Amino acid sequence: MIQLKNIEKVYRTDTVETQALNNISLQVEKGEFLSIMGPSGCGKSTLLNLMGLLDAPSKGEVLIASQQTLQLNDRKLAHFRNSKIGFIFQSYHLINDLQVLDNVELPLLYRNSSAKERKILALEALEKVGLSNRVKHFPTQLSGGQKQRVAIARAIVGKPEIILADEPTGNLDSAMGNEIMNILLELNRVDGTTIVMVTHDPNMAQKTHRLLRLFDGSQVQ
Amino acid sequence: MLKHLFKLIWNKKKENFLLISEILISFMVIFAVFTLLVHNYRNYKIPRGFDYEQVWSVSLGELSGSKDKDSVMLMHKNLRNTLKSLPLIKDLTLSSSNVPFSNSMYRTTVSYKGKEAHTDIFHGEISYEEVLRVQLLSGRWFSEDDNAAAKRNIVINELTQERLFGSGAALGKIISMGGEDLKVIGVAKDFKDQGDFKAPTPAIFLRIDTSNIRDASTILIRVGAGADATFEGKVYKLIASTVKSSNLEIKHLSDLRKNKNKETTIPMMIFFIVAGFLIFNVALGIFGVLWYNINKRRGEIGLRRAIGATASSVSGQLVGEAMVLATFSLIIGSFFAIQFPLLNVFDLPASVYLTAQFLATVFIYLLVVVCAFYPGKQAAAIYPAVVLHEE
Repeated sequence: MIQLKNIEKVYRTDTVETQALNNISLQVEKGEFLSIMGPSGCGKSTLLNLMGLLDAPSKGEVLIASQQTLQLNDRKLAHFRNSKIGFIFQSYHLINDLQVLDNVELPLLYRNSSAKERKILALEALEKVGLSNRVKHFPTQLSGGQKQRVAIARAIVGKPEIILADEPTGNLDSAMGNEIMNILLELNRVDGTTIVMVTHDPNMAQKTHRLLRLFDGSQVQ
Repeated sequence: MLKHLFKLIWNKKKENFLLISEILISFMVIFAVFTLLVHNYRNYKIPRGFDYEQVWSVSLGELSGSKDKDSVMLMHKNLRNTLKSLPLIKDLTLSSSNVPFSNSMYRTTVSYKGKEAHTDIFHGEISYEEVLRVQLLSGRWFSEDDNAAAKRNIVINELTQERLFGSGAALGKIISMGGEDLKVIGVAKDFKDQGDFKAPTPAIFLRIDTSNIRDASTILIRVGAGADATFEGKVYKLIASTVKSSNLEIKHLSDLRKNKNKETTIPMMIFFIVAGFLIFNVALGIFGVLWYNINKRRGEIGLRRAIGATASSVSGQLVGEAMVLATFSLIIGSFFAIQFPLLNVFDLPASVYLTAQFLATVFIYLLVVVCAFYPGKQAAAIYPAVVLHEE
């Protein structure tokens, strides 16, 4: 589903050159749940950004669903992200001025779907994460766990084949974290969604199919 | 997407209140500016109804000597003959002091079958038509035949005709002025004597009584090409030697016109400058608020890029939000603006207000788009991979 070939990522400023990723090759199969671990600054988020087409590698190739992505222009990349990938972030990134339902509908706004269709899909996604009774709430009226569930609903509303989660339980206590992890596992098991999750928590990583360890930008396991 | 933008702005109405108010105030100022502009432009486009070029106005001032009717008539006759003998003088007419573009005004009320019109009244000789090249629409101007008429003849302009007769014919009708019956013999084009930017008013033309020293206080002279300052000096000396006046004065109608127009253009310029400063400040305000909003919403913009927005759609969204904000202001502004034609404020035609309202709306949208364009471009350049890890 996701294929990275000899990936290198170098950040350059006028004076400093930082090697964030060094010769990473990786294949994530369809329906796989992969976790990525490593110390802070080892390149986990950079790797996730490359998989999510939010960033481009300095060297190497990124293939998503067997499609080469490096040559895609901004419009095609945006369409690719919208249709194939769902994102979950540690800090949720919900829009506080929009109600839960509107937040979940957000990815569908960039598709040609009607308001009615958007509402049905958003309610369905909220149902899946157990928040169908909070549709009219604003994010500020929700707990951390509820916010992350809204973020998951937003990630799955467009029925993407891939979910990229960057420390989704990082801001939550262990009970809430487990709740979120169970939702992700359920999505992977029932819907067959391919999930790549960055985490610092070995307990969470243990529940996934495979663990990738990074150290100083290199794959160590 | 439009509904989404409205929802987003509506949910942030408290934060956007000041910006909405700022745009609303700008709209009202721009509406006032455009009302003035449209009104003046429309007046400017109305034909003048006469020709002022190469026409001099000689104010005879305070005349000394005999003031009995025969002496005055003789003096005027001598003056006319003396001036007519000059080759550069094409024609001349005695006139009341309210020559075009002057500050003098004669007003009267005329009536016909219960309908009244408050009009300007211009007195002149038969040659008045030729000197000012008054444009007749129907009927005729005064002639020597009028001297034997039982009733005084009168020429009226289009507005007077409209007020007294509506769409009906005016020629041959008898109208009343201060108890005197006057027969309409001609209808002239509207006479825009108060400057290019002032609307014409109802007016009537009457033969001047050349024996009346108070009425016939001015001479209008049409001069030929080449009538320069030297010639003007010669005319002045000639008149001064014929009449005994303490304050004889020659003015060119073209200069009087310029001065009259300044009465409109100078306040308009001051108003424009003040409005310009205000609009500039509002533009800076809009620009600043949008810029600040983008910095505050970097995470949201990054998220939108991540979930499928292109750079251009992010930029378009920012411009769209600014336009939605402007729409809220314009809805409120239009409510106030529409009161002007409904309540007939300042007695201007409704079409002036409606045109001004349309132009002000277009201007505000353009202003907002221009102010939002660069912040929108900056938002589009936000790098989602960076901002999504900032918070």
